[in-house]
Amino acid sequence: MPIEPVLTKGFGSLDLTDLAVYRSVGGFAALTKALREMTPDGVVAEVMASNLRGRGGAGFPTGKKWSFLPKDGRPRYLVCNSDEAEAGTFKDRMLLENSPFNLIEGLVISAYAVNAKRVFIYIRGEFLAGYRIFQKALAQAYDAGLVGADILGSGYSVEIVPHRGAGAYICGEETAQLNSLEGKRGEPRLKPPFPANAGLYGMPTVVNNVETLMYVPHIIERGAKWFASIGAEKSPGPKVISVSGHVMRPGNYEVPLGIPMRELVMELAGGLRPGRRVKAIQPGGGSSAAIFEEDLDVACDFDSLAAKGTMLGSGAVTVMDDTACMVRCALTINRFFETESCGQCTPCREGGQWVHRMVARLEAGEGSESDLKILTTINRTITGTNLCVLGDSIMPFLSSVYKHFPEEFHDHVRLAGCPLHARSESAA
Amino acid sequence: MSPEKAVREVSVTIDGNTFAVPEGTLVVEAAKHLGTQIPVYCYHPKLEPAGLCRICLVEIEKMPKLQIACATRVADGMVVHTSSAKVAEARRGVLEFLLLNHPLDCPVCDKGGECELQDFTMSYGPGESRLTEPKLHKPKLVDLGPTIVLDEERCILCRRCTRFDDEIAQERTLIVEDRGFKSLISTRNGGAYASYFSGNTTEICPVGALTSKAYRFRSRPWDLNHTDSVCTQCSVGCNYRVDTRFGRVMRTFTRENPAVDDGWICDRGRYTFNYLYAPERLRAPSIKRDGGRVDVTFAEAAVLAGSKLAEAAARGRVGVIGGGRLSDEEAYALQRFAREVLGTNNIDYRTHAQVYASPSRFGARLTDIDDASVILAFGAVTPELAPILDLRIRRAVARGHAKFVYMGPYRPAFTIETRYVKLQRGTLPKELDDLGDAVRRGAGQPGGSDVATIASDIAAAKKIVAIHSGEDAPSADAIERLVETLQQSGRDAGILVVGATGNARGAEAAGCVPNLGPGYAPVSGEPGMTTDQMLAAAADGRLDALFVIGANPALTFPDGALARRALKRVPFLAVADQVMTETASYAHIVFAAASFAEKRGHTTNLEGIRQAFAAAVESPLEVRTDAQIIGALTLATRRGSIGDDPTTLFAELNAAESAPRAKTGGGALARPVVTGASAPIAVPDGALTVIPIPHLYAGGGAAAHDPGTKPMRPEPYAVFSPSDARRLSLDEGARVKLSGASGSIEVSARIAQQVPDGSVLVLAEMPEAPHNLLLDASGGGWANVEVIAGAAEAAG
Ligand SMILES: Cc1cc2nc3c(=O)[nH]c(=O)nc-3n(C[C@H](O)[C@H](O)[C@H](O)COP(=O)(O)O)c2cc1C
Ligand code: SF4
Ligand code: SF4
Ligand code: SF4
Ligand code: FES
Repeated sequence: MPIEPVLTKGFGSLDLTDLAVYRSVGGFAALTKALREMTPDGVVAEVMASNLRGRGGAGFPTGKKWSFLPKDGRPRYLVCNSDEAEAGTFKDRMLLENSPFNLIEGLVISAYAVNAKRVFIYIRGEFLAGYRIFQKALAQAYDAGLVGADILGSGYSVEIVPHRGAGAYICGEETAQLNSLEGKRGEPRLKPPFPANAGLYGMPTVVNNVETLMYVPHIIERGAKWFASIGAEKSPGPKVISVSGHVMRPGNYEVPLGIPMRELVMELAGGLRPGRRVKAIQPGGGSSAAIFEEDLDVACDFDSLAAKGTMLGSGAVTVMDDTACMVRCALTINRFFETESCGQCTPCREGGQWVHRMVARLEAGEGSESDLKILTTINRTITGTNLCVLGDSIMPFLSSVYKHFPEEFHDHVRLAGCPLHARSESAA
Repeated sequence: MSPEKAVREVSVTIDGNTFAVPEGTLVVEAAKHLGTQIPVYCYHPKLEPAGLCRICLVEIEKMPKLQIACATRVADGMVVHTSSAKVAEARRGVLEFLLLNHPLDCPVCDKGGECELQDFTMSYGPGESRLTEPKLHKPKLVDLGPTIVLDEERCILCRRCTRFDDEIAQERTLIVEDRGFKSLISTRNGGAYASYFSGNTTEICPVGALTSKAYRFRSRPWDLNHTDSVCTQCSVGCNYRVDTRFGRVMRTFTRENPAVDDGWICDRGRYTFNYLYAPERLRAPSIKRDGGRVDVTFAEAAVLAGSKLAEAAARGRVGVIGGGRLSDEEAYALQRFAREVLGTNNIDYRTHAQVYASPSRFGARLTDIDDASVILAFGAVTPELAPILDLRIRRAVARGHAKFVYMGPYRPAFTIETRYVKLQRGTLPKELDDLGDAVRRGAGQPGGSDVATIASDIAAAKKIVAIHSGEDAPSADAIERLVETLQQSGRDAGILVVGATGNARGAEAAGCVPNLGPGYAPVSGEPGMTTDQMLAAAADGRLDALFVIGANPALTFPDGALARRALKRVPFLAVADQVMTETASYAHIVFAAASFAEKRGHTTNLEGIRQAFAAAVESPLEVRTDAQIIGALTLATRRGSIGDDPTTLFAELNAAESAPRAKTGGGALARPVVTGASAPIAVPDGALTVIPIPHLYAGGGAAAHDPGTKPMRPEPYAVFSPSDARRLSLDEGARVKLSGASGSIEVSARIAQQVPDGSVLVLAEMPEAPHNLLLDASGGGWANVEVIAGAAEAAG
């Protein structure tokens, strides 16, 4: 059930990094409407009614998040999270590079809604091209009076400050991002207080994902009803999903939430290579537990995937076919979490490193049954015991594939190496 | 005092016991009410909850996940389980993770026996190890600075040390470097961790990662005997414990007194005890003979000195200097000795520029700093003179949002945000009176002078604490007038006077002043001579004997030339001290005095709290307490009897103090008499005005010889303004000769922006280069500067 693209409309045919082009397809109409015809509370109400849920990973309702800000007269900040570093996610990068004005429009409308006078956009350090494109667009937007003082004569003013990250996955976590913006170590903060109360520089702050904020102008322009009519009832709207791995056409697909995984993988992404079968799929980035061939009919939305014990996350679908060694896949994931742990919490720092060592040993054919025994129980002391959810991301994939393919793990011990590789080698 | 806000109580159930605690109490603290220990590593009651180590996870009903007890606040009706199977499993997990790469070198670890990793592993750890991993290695011997060595392998990354340095000391030198399991404790830009508070990190480090160089590999905790004591290195009087082994002091350790030290001690206090075992420590009395010194027995020294002092006393030509480094009991005994035995009121504890050690009737408490809105300091450089008081100021400024104002001749390096007001010599009284007027008029016109800005700060303040160095009587009086004005306008205001010596206030209260006896009661008869008058008289040949006890006026008295003339000229000089000071070197008889660790008694801190300390070790055979020296001298003079038992002396002191005494107007305590009014000094053309600056590790006594603090002790230096340095063609590090009206010293040059043009800051109380050779009796002075060697030459 493909839909008309919303954020990605014109990608590949139009140069949306050109302000005139963006305007020619209706760009900044929403901004004019919001500033001229709507109160900030009206914008919040519209977004709330659309039931837009955060596209950064947690799926938290955006309007609700905005309504949490205390009305106490303190300065407020809006932070746009463009640190995108979840394994398998590459949608924000594409959106930033191809449609910077849609993002800017979303930033200004959202800042207006929450009455922020200053917006920070935290751009992943590796996104140098995106950063430059954004900067250029921002300069044009300032020149055109779309950002800055007294926007479109409305009396509302806002500054947008781009900030480049320095290459830490953890800085995508919202409170680590705030610390990093403040010039501190990029480490998550103890909560409460939550950013809504004490965020950037201790002030009320909203952190939203790039994609989330880019849908806001479309909701304002076309109405909450339109948005809510698309996709799943409790996860409405379109979403850009990054599909990667063993598929014929990896890439970003803007689909209605709730699309069956089978349709996404087998049709849109072109299915697998001839003769191959799905072995495991991570539906929500490196942090998510795997689903398997028999789960292909699951709907890709926040709630359906949660019911399967995994998550939609930021919408990063990584497909592994039957040539993939699960131990090796787990090794990649666990190496990532070992290096990306900020190191504050004991279980994440030490446990993550221990798990990585054990998986590395197994993969190298040097593991033991006692390693496997530890891996079955360590979940209980690593998961749910940390300050932020990075710690909770260490085990899901490993535990799910171990549970589903236990023999593959035991074989690594028994054969002192990978059974798949051994097979393919003997076949050769 | 502001009344406590009524705190709502809430009900909590912990492990089946229901009780009430104030709303907002942390679960970990609530559990303590029951005597239930929840293990913690990163949590420390003095630090903000951080929630890092995760050892404190507990089960709270209605919450899906385990919660950290160290950061979760009790809510009404909360039901907590601290020892359920889930909790036990989580603790085992955290311990297992911590032990994963831990070196387990307990047998050679200083912390062994008082280590929380050992303790919690015993109580909550996994019964058997499933750790077959080879350990990862990290640097084991990291030299963090002059005091501390770090073993990164033992570190459990709880960050108590970095958070102490950030939240409490606010110096932000200790940092975490790298991330994840590669995280290391390190220093900002790789510099030295040179903090006056570094030793505290070795105490709060839950494991043996941070160790004191002074204590490394010296003892095992279970071999130590503990004695409750009080630090007397400065007038704050921090409470500490002296830990000894085989009759020798091994280390000192905090002993929290929230009203005094808040659980911290400074490094000067912590590490100044090794001089007791240094070769320079005096172990026997000595007398000057044949151009040298020979050791004698205590009895011999006492008899000789007693008869000399008695002879001089008979002629009415004797004086006694000291008291500010004795115990309260000994200070009391000393003034009795002067008055009853030597028959003179010539006694004075004031051997520094300080003239008053008490704030008269406007005394503030140290804890008043905690909720003060404005803290005004006058000439008292608190980081150098009273470090733990300074820590309180830092906290008040950081957490309580107090404003800190410093008025003085130059801008000292404070850690916290400071509003600085530059004062010309002698102008403080006028500034303060203007301030008082402005407050009285309800002023605080914005955009005006410094005075107007401070007046508006004060106008908005509920509570003001003034901190004074006690130097210069007119300034002290003006501060009192200001505080009185503030009190009359309904504000809470008080004064703290930082003592020049540890027990200055105790000595003043015990009657070691020429016009006042114990309890500030005016003396009968004529007041005696002050220290300046005694030194002037001795220098002129008008005194036949001086007894100097626990004091080194040669180095500390403002007019160094006068002090030296006096001490050299007086026909008989007896000195009691712990090390051979310059003053002692001039003495005909030197008594070897016991240290605070070797005696018991009381000491009065700058706020007036009288605190008891006990003897931790015995002194060497021929060493005596000051009370014993005074007692023996009394016997030798055959002119009375003063016991040396601290208990009896303490009872007598209390009785004397509580006796009805004459008070001067308004209920104020009488003031010690002050002589030698400060005269303006005439600075010759081309010369620089000398401003002495204090340093925590300066001093000519114990500090000069303590191996423990030697690495922190600066070389003598003087600081010039950049433009004066240019004019004099001197570079940082050059060797310069400073010559004043009556002497000269050689120091190395430093250059700093904060020095006013035309002035030079000279490190005070360095025996190698006595600053007071450049000063007159009022503490003023000037110097001509001569470059002896350029920076390169001086370094080579
Ligand atoms: C370890 C970790 C990494 C994260 N990385 C990102 C990221 O790269 N981009 C992002 O938008 N959100 C990321 N998040 C989620 C953010 O914390 C936050 O929930 C999100 O930015 C909120 O935006 P939304 O409500 O619009 O989704 C991350 C969270 C965690 C725990
Ligand atoms: S869970 Fe890991 S990444 Fe998150 S705060 Fe703790 S140590 Fe840092
Ligand atoms: S050195 Fe000690 S106090 Fe500092 S982080 Fe390590 S274990 Fe904690
Ligand atoms: S602040 Fe003073 S009393 Fe306290 S430990 Fe330091 S020197 Fe001793
Ligand atoms: S003591 Fe609670 S997390 Fe460390």
